[in-house]
Amino acid sequence: MKTYDCEPTLADQQIIEFCKYGYLMLEAVVPDEINKRVIAFCDEHPEGNPNDFLKEAWFVDKVLCNAPAVGVVRSLLGRDFGMPLTISNHRVHCPREMNGGWHRDDGSQQVPEVNYLQVFYYPQSTPVEMGPTELLPGSHHLSMSSHFMKHLDAIADAHKTAAPAGTIFITIYSIWHRASTSTGAGIRNLIKYTYWRTVAPTRDWVIDSAFRLENADFATGSTEPRRDWSRVCHDTARMYLWLRGELNNYEWIGGLAWPATATATAVQANEFCPGLPANLA
Amino acid sequence: MQKIKQQIEQCIEALRQDELTEADLSAVLDALDETKPKRQNLLYLQTGGTSVGSGAHGCTMVVDGQITEPPDQDNWPYNSPIDAMRDGWRIIEFPNLALLMDESRTYGLGCEFILEKWE
Repeated sequence: MKTYDCEPTLADQQIIEFCKYGYLMLEAVVPDEINKRVIAFCDEHPEGNPNDFLKEAWFVDKVLCNAPAVGVVRSLLGRDFGMPLTISNHRVHCPREMNGGWHRDDGSQQVPEVNYLQVFYYPQSTPVEMGPTELLPGSHHLSMSSHFMKHLDAIADAHKTAAPAGTIFITIYSIWHRASTSTGAGIRNLIKYTYWRTVAPTRDWVIDSAFRLENADFATGSTEPRRDWSRVCHDTARMYLWLRGELNNYEWIGGLAWPATATATAVQANEFCPGLPANLA
Repeated sequence: MQKIKQQIEQCIEALRQDELTEADLSAVLDALDETKPKRQNLLYLQTGGTSVGSGAHGCTMVVDGQITEPPDQDNWPYNSPIDAMRDGWRIIEFPNLALLMDESRTYGLGCEFILEKWE
C-alpha cells in the first residue's frame, strides 16, 4: 500500500465537529478540467470498480492527493496514511426513484476508533434533482445492522449532499447513508474510496493555542432527536479522545459533568472541571 | 356476494318483463366495486419517546401496495402517532421496550410505532 504525508489542516474544534456529525464537505475543491476528465474516464470505464483510475497520475495527483482533502485526512488519520487500494463508482442513470435504502457499509463497527475514512467525490454538479447521497449526521454513533434499516425511509434531520462539481466529502465509515431519488436526467457519477491509518492516533493536527479542552463544544444543539444531550457529548468526546490517543484516561461520570457542554462552558480557566480527567486538563 | 346474486336475478326478471334499465346494471357494478378486498396501508413512525404524542423524526408509508416516500418533513402527513390515530390509523406495534433497556448504547432511530389503516 502506498502512503502519503502532508500538513494537517484541522484544529481541535474542527476535529470535534467531525466526531459529532461524522462527515465533512469540501465543496468544489477539484478543478473543472479534472472533473471533466474524470467524467470522460467514467464514460469509458462504466464499471462499478474502475480501478484503472489508480494508474492515472493526473487522478492520483488532483483527486486522491487533492490538497484540501488530504489535509483533512492527514488530520484524522495521522502521518503517512495509506492511499486508496480500490476505487468504486456509484454510477446512476437518472431519473430514478428510491425508497428506503438506508445502510452502513459492510464491515461497519460502532466504535470510537477512526482507522480509515470513506471518501466520496462528485465529478459533476449534483443538485437534489440528481439524487445526491443522503447522510444521517451523527449516525456513526448509533448501533444498528443495515438489515434492520430496510424499512426506514424519510428521516427528519438527514442531509442531502447536494453540491457543485468537484466536491469531496469525507465520512466516518459507519455513517448511515443512502442514494436519494433523482428527478433530473443524465448520469450521476459518485466516486468512492478509502484512506487507511498506519500510525497510532496522536494529537498531531493543527494546534490552536486558544483551545481549552474544558471549554470544548461537544454538543450538537437541537438537531439530534435520538440521543440524550449528555450522550451526544460523551460519544463525541470518546471519539475525539481516541483520536488524541488518550481515551484510556477518560471515564464518563455522567450527570452534567464534562464533556457536557453547559458545565464545560461555565468553567473558568484553572478552575476544577468535574469529569475532566486531571491529566488531560 | 349473495346481494349481487339477488341483484342479477332481479335484472334477469326485469329483462324478461322488458323493464331492465341501465340503472339496474349500474347498481350491480357498484355492488361489485364494494366487494373489492381492502388493502392494508402501513405507517411507520420513529419518535423521540414512547408516548403516542412524541414527535416523529422518521416516517415510512406503504399506501395501496406501494412504498411511498413522504415529502420533506414540513409536509409529512403526521407529526406524531396521535396525529395519525386521529385520522383513523390504528397502532399495531408499540416501541419494544425490551430493545430500549441498554442505556450504554443508542439503537437505531429509537422508538418506533407501526400503524395500519385498511382502505
